[in-house]
Amino acid sequence: MEGLQSFIAAIITLATPTALFHVAWSTLLGIVVGSLPGLTATMGVALLTTLTYTMERDTAILVLICMYVGAIYGGSRSAILLNIPGTPASAATALDGYPLAQQGKAGYAMALATSGSALGTLIGIVMLVLLAPPLAEIALDFGSFEFFWLAVFGIVISGQLTGGVTPLKGYIAGLLGLMVAMIGAEGIHAHVRFNLGLHQVNGGIGLIPAMVGAFGFAEVLSVMWRAKPVLVKTETTSDRVLPRIADLLRYKFTIIRSGIIGTLVGIIPGVGEDIGAWASYAAAKKTSPERDQFGKGSQEGLTAAETGNSAVVPGSLIPALTLAVPGSAPAAVLIAALFIHGIRPGPMIMIEQPTFIYSIAAMLVFATIAIAIYGLSLTRLFILVLKIPREILMPVVFTLCVIGPYALTQRVFDIWVMVGFGLIGFLLRQMNYPMAPLVLGIILGDLLDKSLRRGLILSDGDLMPFITRPISAFFVIVIVTSIMLGLPPIRRAFARITGSGRKEGKS
Amino acid sequence: MRYDSPFADRITAAVFFALGASMAWGGFIMDRLEIRQIHPASIPGLVPMILGVALMGCAVLLALGAEKAQRDSEDFADGSWRNLGFTAIWSFVFAVGLVSRIPFVVATAIYIAGFSGWFLIPAAPDTRGRVRALLFVVIFGAVTATAISALFRYGFLVRLP
Repeated sequence: MEGLQSFIAAIITLATPTALFHVAWSTLLGIVVGSLPGLTATMGVALLTTLTYTMERDTAILVLICMYVGAIYGGSRSAILLNIPGTPASAATALDGYPLAQQGKAGYAMALATSGSALGTLIGIVMLVLLAPPLAEIALDFGSFEFFWLAVFGIVISGQLTGGVTPLKGYIAGLLGLMVAMIGAEGIHAHVRFNLGLHQVNGGIGLIPAMVGAFGFAEVLSVMWRAKPVLVKTETTSDRVLPRIADLLRYKFTIIRSGIIGTLVGIIPGVGEDIGAWASYAAAKKTSPERDQFGKGSQEGLTAAETGNSAVVPGSLIPALTLAVPGSAPAAVLIAALFIHGIRPGPMIMIEQPTFIYSIAAMLVFATIAIAIYGLSLTRLFILVLKIPREILMPVVFTLCVIGPYALTQRVFDIWVMVGFGLIGFLLRQMNYPMAPLVLGIILGDLLDKSLRRGLILSDGDLMPFITRPISAFFVIVIVTSIMLGLPPIRRAFARITGSGRKEGKS
Repeated sequence: MRYDSPFADRITAAVFFALGASMAWGGFIMDRLEIRQIHPASIPGLVPMILGVALMGCAVLLALGAEKAQRDSEDFADGSWRNLGFTAIWSFVFAVGLVSRIPFVVATAIYIAGFSGWFLIPAAPDTRGRVRALLFVVIFGAVTATAISALFRYGFLVRLP
């Protein structure tokens, strides 16, 4: 009850003309960013973070949340009209969205995507409000031993679920991220490690330059490499652009299930929206009476995918706020932004700033309302946005990739870091290494390092507390089970038994 | 373009093995700060050693499983090496060669006009079209560079490189 009151109070506090103005422009910008192939939600949040340094704390967080929600939703536009997901989160959307567009139902597909996104985010918000405070309370019992396993858990699960057909590449990406985090002064004795004689890295590799490089510059290279996308030729503006209530009622169980799946996927560290969409899509396909229509223009499939990916957004903020462990790559940037603006996410958040989680939930509500309004009213504008030539857009994006990281520290070295991570990120992507575990590794490296060594100091070098304490034991069991399930023979046996999964969704 | 092949896996496995070995060795020979009488379990090189060994293990598994590894069956359409090469080189020249050596607004205008012009001018059908494209990219580069520079310089009070 107290939580509900705080939530309503946060909504009332936020309902000022200035805040609404910020919601309006940042959500619209997010939708535009998400809808343009090559501009991802992570890139949008990272670049916008560099523009919020001078903003007031709450305003900065508000615009970043709106950018995040808008970009994840915006990805559905290009998925439906170009058959190219604007963000990886919309890959499942393209499966049914594009066939619907080819049937002349692009407007209705976008309306369903809008409704699904809005409802998915709302389900996620409810779960955020319900789950975050108790999770923060549980996290208060975490000591060094538990935080060590939490970091390992994040890397293993993220690597497992984002590594595609081979989790090994996900693990390697996570290890590379952890190694990057080892550069610079360590957190216990302030000893400088692996600086290779460069004093600029004594403080470590900056997260923002690394992420802008891995997600921004690498994406610019990928976009310019690929063949030019072609906008669907079917008439896209004459069909219905508002969803039928009957359709939404027909898919109510799909929406609720996808919302819950998406939120739960969001809670898992470093997994992200694309997995939320695929998991929701696969679950809908399994239970739907019209499963043979999936992949050929199923409205239910489209709704499930969009509800699932949008529900990940609030879900990913649950561990981000309560454990300082991001549920997705954009949430990782949000954590960095929170620190920049003087907010310390983690178990103490409900003690230090007890209303902050409700403020975030209120911001998500406003962003959701904004995407619903824009999505149902600006269909034609988004079609125009998709016509901006990449030859004009990409140099502007890269310029922002250069000046954005520089603006934070005003060091030219950070520009070089961005370029380096961009080139390495591009190569790794081409070889099917996922980027999410890499980013998660950079964020969790310090936590893992300090927690292991602190734990060993506390136990005087004894490893037993790492496996005998209840929460640690739980993490150990989950981690070992996950790794076992990643082994090829066990994976094959498991796939034979279940006969489902992400690949099925793709087929 | 996807270098997701057994050959690429073996090459990267060798690189990762070397990287892991370097990090493990770097952690092993790292100062153990005995002079500060720290707890032996908290030496700074402990986690790098573990990570290095873990990466070496993963590299071995990657190399051993390269031939039999399942791969995404999706077909990726071939892209343009020319576009990729130009984008990588021109962006590198801008970020590492031009920025901080000449005023940021000038560097940005050159970069944006050069980038857009490389693609748009040859794509024009005739001389008249090419002249129009040239004018467009010059004006677009100048206006965008000025707008971005002004936003960061005066809006966010950043001392431009």
